[in-house]
Amino acid sequence: MKASAIYEIIMCAVLILLQVLLMNQISLFGIGTPILYVYFLTKLPMGSNRFYVITLGFIVGFIIDIFLNTPGMNAAATTIVAVMRKPLMNLFFSKDDEFEDFVPGIYRSSGAFVRFVVAMVLLHQSLLFFIGAFSFFNLTNTLIRIGASSLITLVLIFAIDSLMYKKVASEQ
Amino acid sequence: MRNLLNFIRQSSTWLYAIVLVAFSFYLVFSHNSYHRSVYFTSANSLTGWLYDKSNSVRTYFYLHKNNRELLERNAKLESELYVLKELYHRDYDSISTTAFALDSVKASQFRFIPAEVSYLSFSAMNNYITLNKGLADGVKPDMGVISQRGVVGVVFKASEHFSAVIPIINAKFRLSAKLKNSGNYGSLSWDGSDIYTAQLQELPKHEVYQEGDTVLTSFSRIFPKGLVIGYVSGKAKSQNDNFNSFDVKLATNFYTIQDVLIIEDSYYTEQNQLEQSIRQ
Repeated sequence: MKASAIYEIIMCAVLILLQVLLMNQISLFGIGTPILYVYFLTKLPMGSNRFYVITLGFIVGFIIDIFLNTPGMNAAATTIVAVMRKPLMNLFFSKDDEFEDFVPGIYRSSGAFVRFVVAMVLLHQSLLFFIGAFSFFNLTNTLIRIGASSLITLVLIFAIDSLMYKKVASEQ
Repeated sequence: MRNLLNFIRQSSTWLYAIVLVAFSFYLVFSHNSYHRSVYFTSANSLTGWLYDKSNSVRTYFYLHKNNRELLERNAKLESELYVLKELYHRDYDSISTTAFALDSVKASQFRFIPAEVSYLSFSAMNNYITLNKGLADGVKPDMGVISQRGVVGVVFKASEHFSAVIPIINAKFRLSAKLKNSGNYGSLSWDGSDIYTAQLQELPKHEVYQEGDTVLTSFSRIFPKGLVIGYVSGKAKSQNDNFNSFDVKLATNFYTIQDVLIIEDSYYTEQNQLEQSIRQ
């Protein structure tokens, strides 16, 4: 196993713990909850094996589901986002960025990265809410929730990403 | 055949993803929460343990508030006790017969098991609570859960030391309820708009209400009659023109919920069996 894979699995574990122990206790104004764990999909190297990305997405979603008693919901949403990761990357990043282990970040390719993360988070949130709301469908309500949760998730992701980069930069 | 193999090889990632997504959707739709294995819920021993550990840190932040609430509750019970004692002594007749002494060891129908909330998730419409009491403490599925202020939810799964609860603020929750000052029953559910408010639906059109009216539990196999659920806070949009719907401000604050009581109904099995036997 490559060292990078171990690092990535540790990142997933940390994000899962953060999600269930901290993020799911937050409910901003009773409507918005940050769904932070999807961040790991944006921080995998661009050239990662698609099988690996999809499997990781499914497993992380499944573990989150067990913690939150929502069988299949997070697993389905995260697997679909993992599949869409490659097409979305092709859409937002220029071809010169496509190195094997290029990890996108807010400082390294800010504009493209921001657009990419916004697309991923919006997709993930929409999937989560529409899968979760099958039983009672209230469109305005669902849209407000998607908006609120996406906003707070994005703020957190960009904050964490800029902090991580500063740490890496000061170590070098 | 070769074309088929080629096709499978070329689109293997897609096929793989479709299989995983299909499996997830199977879980979403097929798993009635009552039939699900306890290992796939937050009541399993690993997640239960983790939640319990994180909760033991979190409870310190609520000590002050909980202490105050307990004192308030204590004061209220104390004054009630005083009134009851007063009544008892006033009506006590010294020459009344002692031949028909009441059975002093008669067990009451309801027993309360105190428990602590070790986890509450806010994940859109499917919120769940994990409690730190399980089968070993006498907790069984279908028991009601209340806080000091009002109704919380219903136990749906219990493992040896933990149990998972569907709270009012879950889309799947349904409860028969009524206004304190009327005899008409409605159905309480949650529309997912915010965690302070639930909806009381299917009340007759002529039902009058005032803001602040108390909403109580009515016929239910799970809760005793007359427990506070919340207070009417306004008129809600009705799905059906023949019925009224009200917004109900929930008595329980799910943000700060810490200590709850699980209601054990000693007649539950008996009543359940009787009702089952009618159905057959």
